[in-house]
Amino acid sequence: MTQPSVWSRPLACALAFLACATVCNAQPRVVELPGKSPLVTIRLVFTTGAASEPADKPGVASLTAQMLSNSGTKTLTYKQITDALYPMATGISAYSDKEMTTFVGQTHIDNLEKFYALMRDAVLNPGWRPEDFTRVRDDQVTALRVGLRGNNDEELGKEALYNAIYAGHPYGHEDLGTVASLQKMTVADLEAFHRRHYTQANLIIGLAGGYPAGFAARVKKDFAALPAGPADHLDLPPPAALTHNQATIIEKDTRSVAWSFGFPIALKRGDPDFAALLVAESWLGQHRDSSGELYSRMRELRGLNYGDYAYIEYFPNGMFQFEPDPNIARHQQIFQIWIRPVETPNAVFALRLAMYELDKLVKNGVPPAEFEKTRSFLSKYVNILTKTKSAELGYAVDSEYYGMPEYNEYLKAALAKLTVDDVNRAVKKYLHADRLQVIGVAKDAAAIKAALVSAAATPIQYNSAKPQDILDEDKTVGVWPLGLKPEDVQIVPVTSVFENM
Amino acid sequence: MRLVRSLAAASLFVSATCLLAATGIFPYPYVQEDLPNGLRLITIPTDYPNIVSLYIVVGAGSRNEVEPGKTGFAHLFEHLMFRGTAEYPPAKYTATLQSAGAASNAFTSSDLTAFHTTFSKEDLPTILSMEADRFQHLDYTEAVFKTETLAVLGEYNKDSADPAEQLWETLSATGFKVHPYSHTTMGFLRDVQAMPEGYDYSREFFSRYYRPEYTTIIVTGDVDPKRVRSLVDERWGNWKRGSFKAQIPAEPPQDGPRRAHVDWQSETTPQITVAWRGPAYSDDTMDTVALDAISHLGYDQNSPLYQKLVVEEQKVETLGADAPGNLDPEFFQVNAHVKDAKDLALVEAQVRATAQAFADKPVEAKKLEALKQHQRYDFALQLDNSEAIASTVAGYVALRRTPETINRYYDMYAKLTPADIQRVARKYLIDKNLDVVTLTTKGAAK
Repeated sequence: MTQPSVWSRPLACALAFLACATVCNAQPRVVELPGKSPLVTIRLVFTTGAASEPADKPGVASLTAQMLSNSGTKTLTYKQITDALYPMATGISAYSDKEMTTFVGQTHIDNLEKFYALMRDAVLNPGWRPEDFTRVRDDQVTALRVGLRGNNDEELGKEALYNAIYAGHPYGHEDLGTVASLQKMTVADLEAFHRRHYTQANLIIGLAGGYPAGFAARVKKDFAALPAGPADHLDLPPPAALTHNQATIIEKDTRSVAWSFGFPIALKRGDPDFAALLVAESWLGQHRDSSGELYSRMRELRGLNYGDYAYIEYFPNGMFQFEPDPNIARHQQIFQIWIRPVETPNAVFALRLAMYELDKLVKNGVPPAEFEKTRSFLSKYVNILTKTKSAELGYAVDSEYYGMPEYNEYLKAALAKLTVDDVNRAVKKYLHADRLQVIGVAKDAAAIKAALVSAAATPIQYNSAKPQDILDEDKTVGVWPLGLKPEDVQIVPVTSVFENM
Repeated sequence: MRLVRSLAAASLFVSATCLLAATGIFPYPYVQEDLPNGLRLITIPTDYPNIVSLYIVVGAGSRNEVEPGKTGFAHLFEHLMFRGTAEYPPAKYTATLQSAGAASNAFTSSDLTAFHTTFSKEDLPTILSMEADRFQHLDYTEAVFKTETLAVLGEYNKDSADPAEQLWETLSATGFKVHPYSHTTMGFLRDVQAMPEGYDYSREFFSRYYRPEYTTIIVTGDVDPKRVRSLVDERWGNWKRGSFKAQIPAEPPQDGPRRAHVDWQSETTPQITVAWRGPAYSDDTMDTVALDAISHLGYDQNSPLYQKLVVEEQKVETLGADAPGNLDPEFFQVNAHVKDAKDLALVEAQVRATAQAFADKPVEAKKLEALKQHQRYDFALQLDNSEAIASTVAGYVALRRTPETINRYYDMYAKLTPADIQRVARKYLIDKNLDVVTLTTKGAAK
């Protein structure tokens, strides 16, 4: 593993996020992973995003990033840029989260100069043409209405969970915004956001691959054209704590029922207990892996659905990818369980079973033998998370932002020092099986609500014989208390989600 | 990036362990060997340290589901293969992968089922041994089988929220009436729901296709080919060759345009697929590469049609095309997400007119050269880690069981002329071969 060489990193800004009220670090930080590869990756990460948006402009950070990456510049039209990029078989992609907005491009070294010039101008010299704006804005409305709300029940549930947990908080709206907000947005709104937040103090430049000597210095000099500051300053309050379980059922004409539930945790990457809680998360529900307890108890033993997983960091698009994208760093995270769609007759049983498994973890902790296996897994699996230069660079940029060492070595060192007691102390400290925010996506929301608030059992239906110990456990699970009264469960039509401010 | 040929293609198949030098666009030397039982081993050392990626490709996909009522069984096996053996019950299998820090999964397509694992190099003997065990000794009870069919139904359910799945299912059933490409890899819902009763058939399916002569092992990464060969001999050498020869029914030529429509139950963007029945994959004719060139020149982001419909008029949100590249004849298809359903007919007309233009006159040589450059860089950019290299090779191995397929394909591309493109457009992109499917929210104008 190559250690990132970080230069121009004033010590005072190791915690830039917390400390910089105005202009703390007027120069961009640069993270380099030089190498021999003929592929060069450029990541331009601005430490700004949805959490910095004006209250009446949800979606402006994301739309600005999409406008820069999918439009013309001052000197070139979008068509000219598309034509120039085509022979290089590459492009500039952008994504924006609560605290980070990322532009990423990869090119063959043969084309580095041409590609870099296009990427640089996209960010520094946008054309702000009205016709580009209309196209990009319509695409973002469709991404909300159709991509998220219409075609993907699971991602809809996961995003709705974050929005419910962070209601009234700077994280409390969808990154893409709302339909109403986007439809009112103007090019001037985007230009204002660009002027205010695309600053040198907010910029981390990441470079990886076989780029020539002097290239990094040149990039840094070019981006000195941005305003020096200020850096974004987020004064994030703790999210409101629940006193008991709450549920929202999003009503939608769909074949099955998707669930997500969770709660905020006061823990992020780099904190002392991070590795300990990561072991517990991995043991309970390693993403898209058959080793987790949830997967084993819900899918393998009972055939309830396609998979069930747990998270302590934000991981969007989990249905499409095995490893998370880097550069979605957040200073506040939630613990979350994702239950993939369940056939309606078993839907409430599946929710109960996931809560029951979480309760078991909280009460009993991770068993010692399982701790060793999970630790071993994570120590090696971290190599896979950073298997591409682009991912390795992304993690290095995140480490720079969090003010922590390079992730791979950091995690291996932290895991090596852990004991099972450390893990189970972290479980007790950060996890609980009550005060849960629950989101369901279902066709017959009223019937699901009735089952959630009723005292009646919701037994599972099987198509094959099961061992007695499973059947015995099912009796407990079928009546597992959900702690929901009628007033704790609201039903919302899908067409209202992400629609208004 | 293109490399100069240094070896004659005649030396492709070797029995001894020696690295074949890179002879075309594929930049990595590799070893390709056949075991006496018919199993093929391809080992590709790369310069990415520590990590090894193992792809095991079985030459059976949904194309091999020829019996009525049995669609989806190739994909079901993707699941069942994780249900363990006497030596490695599921918990031990999972624990072994876990201690290796491995990323492991599988996927199924029309023509193949692939099982892949990526892990640290020191775990290669364990993983190769464990994989050999499950391919030879898979063992599951009927109760376990029935439970796994429910996980497959769960997979169908999560996919069913996406209208693109329904559009693809309808296009397949519209364009194919006899050949198994008439169903998707997931299978028809009615067959997925009936799977729990298919235990005996599942054993039959396994016995037919999970055999060395159908299987290719690809190992990439930080490896020594001699060591890999020795490990494979040791654990895979006794695997018994089978005798089953798949009889895949041929689809008769299409006799005229066909149409279908999908009413979608919730809010979505109107969609259209305009498809033509195309040829099977070939790297000894220009047909495959010429249709691929049309898919890019006609419908990519820098194409005149994309610029008109998406960028200027903004009537269409997405536009793109796929060329056929399967073992048997498949669709050349163009897909568009249209903002307003009333524009579906207009978009169809322009997609078809664009295809017709390739038949009417040769493309500009300059545009074709830019495309060839795009394709070479696009390929080079794919190979940024050992897993990506194995995955890329797996796709070509499903067609011809050798990485040399990659070189042959790109060699044909290099030779492609505007006249070839015109000839192939005239041959395939004609009304007789046309299938059009639209999808709109129920009750919306069509």
